[in-house]
Amino acid sequence: MNFDWNLVAESLPQMLAGAGITLQLLLVSGVLGLILAILLLLMRISGKFYLDWVAQVYIYVFRGTPILVQIFIIYYGLPQFDAVRDSMFWHLLREPTGCAILALTLNTGAYVSEILRGGVLGVDKGVLEAGSALGMSARQKFIYLTAPLATRLALPAYSNDVISLLKSTALASTITIADMTGIARTIVADTYAPYEVFLSLAIVYMIFTLGIQKLFARIEKYLGRYTRREE
Amino acid sequence: MEVLNGWWDDYFWGAVIVAEVFITSLFLMILFGLLGAGAKLSENRIAQKIGGAYTVIFRGTPEILVILLLYFGSAIALTAIVQVFNPDVKFVDVPPFWAGTIAIALIVGSYATETFRGAFLGVNPGSIEAARALGMSPLQTFIFIRIPEMWRLALPPFGNHLLSLIKDTALISIIGLNETMFVAKQAITVTGKPFTMYIVVGLIYLGFSTIITLSVMGIEKYGNRTTVGAR
Repeated sequence: MNFDWNLVAESLPQMLAGAGITLQLLLVSGVLGLILAILLLLMRISGKFYLDWVAQVYIYVFRGTPILVQIFIIYYGLPQFDAVRDSMFWHLLREPTGCAILALTLNTGAYVSEILRGGVLGVDKGVLEAGSALGMSARQKFIYLTAPLATRLALPAYSNDVISLLKSTALASTITIADMTGIARTIVADTYAPYEVFLSLAIVYMIFTLGIQKLFARIEKYLGRYTRREE
Repeated sequence: MEVLNGWWDDYFWGAVIVAEVFITSLFLMILFGLLGAGAKLSENRIAQKIGGAYTVIFRGTPEILVILLLYFGSAIALTAIVQVFNPDVKFVDVPPFWAGTIAIALIVGSYATETFRGAFLGVNPGSIEAARALGMSPLQTFIFIRIPEMWRLALPPFGNHLLSLIKDTALISIIGLNETMFVAKQAITVTGKPFTMYIVVGLIYLGFSTIITLSVMGIEKYGNRTTVGAR
């Protein structure tokens, strides 16, 4: 049992060819998931019990089941119905990439909406009272006071969720997508060298994780530029 | 629902395996988390480094990659070790139960490391000074002061780790553990109803998640029974 560096050098470029798909999954479902999360958040703080209730059930279901099950229900499960196969969304749902993006979006949306809600609840009541005293409407208070302050509060937790999302994209390999993990699994099936392939891929993912952490540290610093204490 | 007839007992035994994996990995996860927190809080530089590396590696790598690496990697390592003593052995099979259980315990344990570390740091220094004033030994202080104070602080995030753990059990089906996902796959090849079969898996996991959430809420209430109003 020897560690084969040549194999590492050979397989790394092949796996990195899948980085584009991994990043595509991350970015598309990250952005769509954020939009969904904001919608769910607005439903939860709308004060309308039926909207709040629907959002709560949605969040409960998607946070209470494994993402792998969600991916399989969408990719393998939905084509069971003729209505899905006849619908206009079929060309998206027929492809594994469309299914993976849909599943990751629905999943991350549930988690992120709870993070955003934590941010909204953390906003200082005094600021909102000041807004009321200035005669701001509820909508104005949300846009000009709650939203910017909640963004700052929620950002550290949100960066953790983006990292979870990156790790979840690896599950796309279970529905035949050739992302980095998918390619790695093919190489291991051919060479039977799990150490070389999986360990070097793990390092690639760690570099990605580190990059996301650095990026969010920058955004956090930028958004907090007025609140930084004088040293 | 008739398609499900004849599969209920398979699902039941699949759910039993999920519960077995969960309980085994729960103990291992607490062990890894305490070891990690101990290493990170220790005065020893090397222990700190090891604890730090542990959390970075297992929080930055996709879960599926850790499971695959542990499963295939340990098979190769064990084969090599056994061949030293008995060269006739061609291949040693590693049970997916243990490879998967240890893998998810290591992953969630890395998150628990941070939780436990934070909770130990959150123990009131006054309590520890009081213990010293009463002449308690460091071990007594640890058992009677630190542990009872820290587990209450750690419980809310620890509940989330338990939910991660139960959901990660679904990933072990990838290396062939015959839990609910695996049962669903078999049922689909016979019945051709993927949506129905995977929805059942989702409902089983939703049930597990609900039980865990309610239990954690109950324990939290019990833990804080004497601190009403204090927090």
